[in-house]
Amino acid sequence: MHGPQWVYRNVTMALLQIERIGGLAGFGGANAHVRSLGQLETDTLSPEHQRAVEDLFKPTGKSKDARICDGFRYRISRTRSGKTETIEAPEERVPVALTQCVKDEFV
Amino acid sequence: MDTVSLPNDPHPIGCQCFIIPADVLERFAGDRKLTAEQRKGFADAARFEKEWRKQRIAQIKHIHEAQSILPTNLTAAGPAAAPPAILVDDCGHGNTLPGTPVSHPEKSSDATAKRAFDETTAVARFYRTVFGRNSVNNAGMTLLSSIHYSVKYNNAFWNGSQMTYGDGDGNILIDFTKGNDVIGHELTHGVTQYTARLAYANQAGGLNESISDVFGSMFRQWQADQDVTQADWLIGKDIMGPGAIARGFTCLRDMANPAAKHCMAPQPTMFSQYHDGMDPHYSSGIPNSAFYKAAMAVGGKCWMKLGKIWYQALTGFAPRPNMKMSVFANRTRSLAASMFPAEPSVKTAIDHAWTAVGL
Repeated sequence: MHGPQWVYRNVTMALLQIERIGGLAGFGGANAHVRSLGQLETDTLSPEHQRAVEDLFKPTGKSKDARICDGFRYRISRTRSGKTETIEAPEERVPVALTQCVKDEFV
Repeated sequence: MDTVSLPNDPHPIGCQCFIIPADVLERFAGDRKLTAEQRKGFADAARFEKEWRKQRIAQIKHIHEAQSILPTNLTAAGPAAAPPAILVDDCGHGNTLPGTPVSHPEKSSDATAKRAFDETTAVARFYRTVFGRNSVNNAGMTLLSSIHYSVKYNNAFWNGSQMTYGDGDGNILIDFTKGNDVIGHELTHGVTQYTARLAYANQAGGLNESISDVFGSMFRQWQADQDVTQADWLIGKDIMGPGAIARGFTCLRDMANPAAKHCMAPQPTMFSQYHDGMDPHYSSGIPNSAFYKAAMAVGGKCWMKLGKIWYQALTGFAPRPNMKMSVFANRTRSLAASMFPAEPSVKTAIDHAWTAVGL
């Protein structure tokens, strides 16, 4: 597992750790037997997806996301320059490159 | 592309062409194999697609506003109106909704399309026959299902206007349309949206999920004409993949034993275990357990008495988005007495069931 000790070539590059939660099957819940995790570096993303990630981490005050019933949510941690921030977002706001790097596995 | 061939298209050019993606409409607008009139139709549809989407959002908002004024269950059309149209669209493993219309899904060679059509039709019939409800909004709203969503997608959801089903990854979970309780569950989210309008967080979220599980299981029992002792009370039994089954998981959730090891996502069973912020699929174990206990005590077919009480508790009051579980519990206690005055054992069963889970 890579950590915040990484030295990046560019301060805007970051490591994203992504967890898929919820859905009809309640993935990632307290006692759930399926965990869905993935990670990637932002410099592997297209410029469009990099911008979408930046938007996800912009402070927006109280979330106005409408909850889709049984929709997945994503808990995304971004580690950049030794600092980690974590947000949660509904699937429809998360770039496909992030959702597709997550793998469902039994725990 | 068969699905947009004009003579057999169930969604001809006009107000329903919006369900064809804009880029496809534009491509057909320039297709010289079509007549000038047909090309013009596609061009018009592409031009108005964005406008139509705005109108649909406004229409949904209008329905919500109307229902906030009218007493619950009173709508312009009501159950006497024609049954809802059932549509199936194919996402072709893409992530764009709703996808491409499936022509005649009732006869489709794609088993997923046919199943989505047949089971959605059956759920609509269940609500109409048992509760006198015409579609999720009680006004004949068209029921649209999108299938083959995304790639190896382990989920199904209701997005406020339609159902969406993934094919599963084939190991943990399989095609979500294979679960009749899953289809009942998703459509019931629509019923909740148009009635109690329960939020999707905290206690209301747990109730919202529980109501979908309760009516999903009830639909499964109704379809098989099972009494409470014959029912499996499992949620998602028919969508378990081989990897899940090999590990001993028989379901997503078990209403009879929410904390059981054979559940892929075991749940709490007592209200004392509840705290705000829980995933609704987790906290729903508490009211799920209460329904099961009451159903077993009342006996018979659960939609005959208990189902009618739960339905009335959901639909017979003004919307209450942040409803607490205790409020719903007390509604069912009161309704049991008023709806079945000659059978005090029904109220007793419900009272004991809620008390047993700490509510």
